[in-house]
Amino acid sequence: MEGVSYQRFPRIKIREVKEDFMKFELRDTDASIANALRRIMIAEVPTIAIDLVEIEVNSTVLNDEFISHRLGLVPLTSERAMSMRFSRDCDACDGDGQCEYCSVEFYLRVKCLTDQTLDVTSKDLLSSDHTVVPVDYSDVSSGFDSNSTNKGIIIVKLRRGQELRLRAIARKGIGKDHAKWSPAATVTFMYEPEIYINEDMMETLSLQEKTELVDSSPTKVFGIDPESKQVIVVEPEAYTYDDEVLKKAEAMGKPGLVEIHAKEDSFIFTVETTGAVKASQLVLNAIEVLKQKLDAVRLSDDTVEADDQFGELGAHMRGG
Amino acid sequence: MNAPDRYERFVVPEGVKKVSYERDTKIMNAATFTVEREDHTIGNIVRMQLHRDENVLFAGYKLPHPLQYKILFRIQTTSQSSPMQAYNQAINDLDKELDHLKNQFETELAKHTRDY
Ligand SMILES: [Zn+2]
Repeated sequence: MEGVSYQRFPRIKIREVKEDFMKFELRDTDASIANALRRIMIAEVPTIAIDLVEIEVNSTVLNDEFISHRLGLVPLTSERAMSMRFSRDCDACDGDGQCEYCSVEFYLRVKCLTDQTLDVTSKDLLSSDHTVVPVDYSDVSSGFDSNSTNKGIIIVKLRRGQELRLRAIARKGIGKDHAKWSPAATVTFMYEPEIYINEDMMETLSLQEKTELVDSSPTKVFGIDPESKQVIVVEPEAYTYDDEVLKKAEAMGKPGLVEIHAKEDSFIFTVETTGAVKASQLVLNAIEVLKQKLDAVRLSDDTVEADDQFGELGAHMRGG
Repeated sequence: MNAPDRYERFVVPEGVKKVSYERDTKIMNAATFTVEREDHTIGNIVRMQLHRDENVLFAGYKLPHPLQYKILFRIQTTSQSSPMQAYNQAINDLDKELDHLKNQFETELAKHTRDY
């Protein structure tokens, strides 16, 4: 039986790539793979986030743990995360999780000395590692208000005399542990729809009926060709599997007028990240993490051996 | 106060085997695999891959309870194969599929980043 393989050869077509967004098609595989990749992108691709905060001075209006929580949620650039160690596995700092292999140190020191309210932002976090810094959202191509002066993520606001001084340790982690480590803003996939219009049956409809049918879909899936006045599929992927057109056709006494199938081996993925890693890198990291997980669930040699002995014993007993 | 550590969900405790295997005593070529600290992500892909194997008569997985961080696979095969062989084969095939997927993605990405 050796040499037999049931392997599949999936195909990928990228439609759009930006820094923190991408859209691609995944074909010739099944939903289990698509869903595994989605789940891993959300909960198991590692990033770096602030995990320990030592507050030196805090005379702000927010309490220590409130500020610590906010700091934890600040996305940090995490290209390093895949090759970094988890603090719990780190032997270089025996468990205190503060060495260079498993952590990054940050300092924040801000004091307001004027009558103007002072914003403490993610830009005030000073990193010990230039590759791990708060994500800069000012020049993202898809960016939101790129014309206004972007000052980073606001952590707290200070009035005259108030001060915040702290040291923070950022560590590698995964979204399964805490959502602050999730690199994903949204990751979704949909089945590619296959829409079939029965042209002969459609011919029997008046223009008004055609318009009604087209308008019955809550999203703009169908349209009417201005020349031929025929119902055409404008945007198959706008279909949300809501069944509304099918119900409409039924109500018009024309079941089978439109048929819609979900192709079971084609998926359209949308990936948006927090900026901690690039969207394309997130997908690659997810594949890598899934490979590592598969490797971890292989049977160990001693399990196999124990069973071999059991098998011989069983055969002996059956034979005897 | 007495909440378990969050990492309990995905770190295999010391002295616990990641994968354990138990033959069925009544049915030939049937076995249960217990995989510690895994969930639907691994459970479902391995099950679906096992279904592609024609020597697999039955393959299923379950997550017994949301607070028990393990999954169970039940596999029964024909006499041409064995649950262990089928399980290993499924993992190997998935691994190769992911290698292929990674290559595909990288070549596609190279095409797109070139005309940036
Ligand atoms: Zn360390």
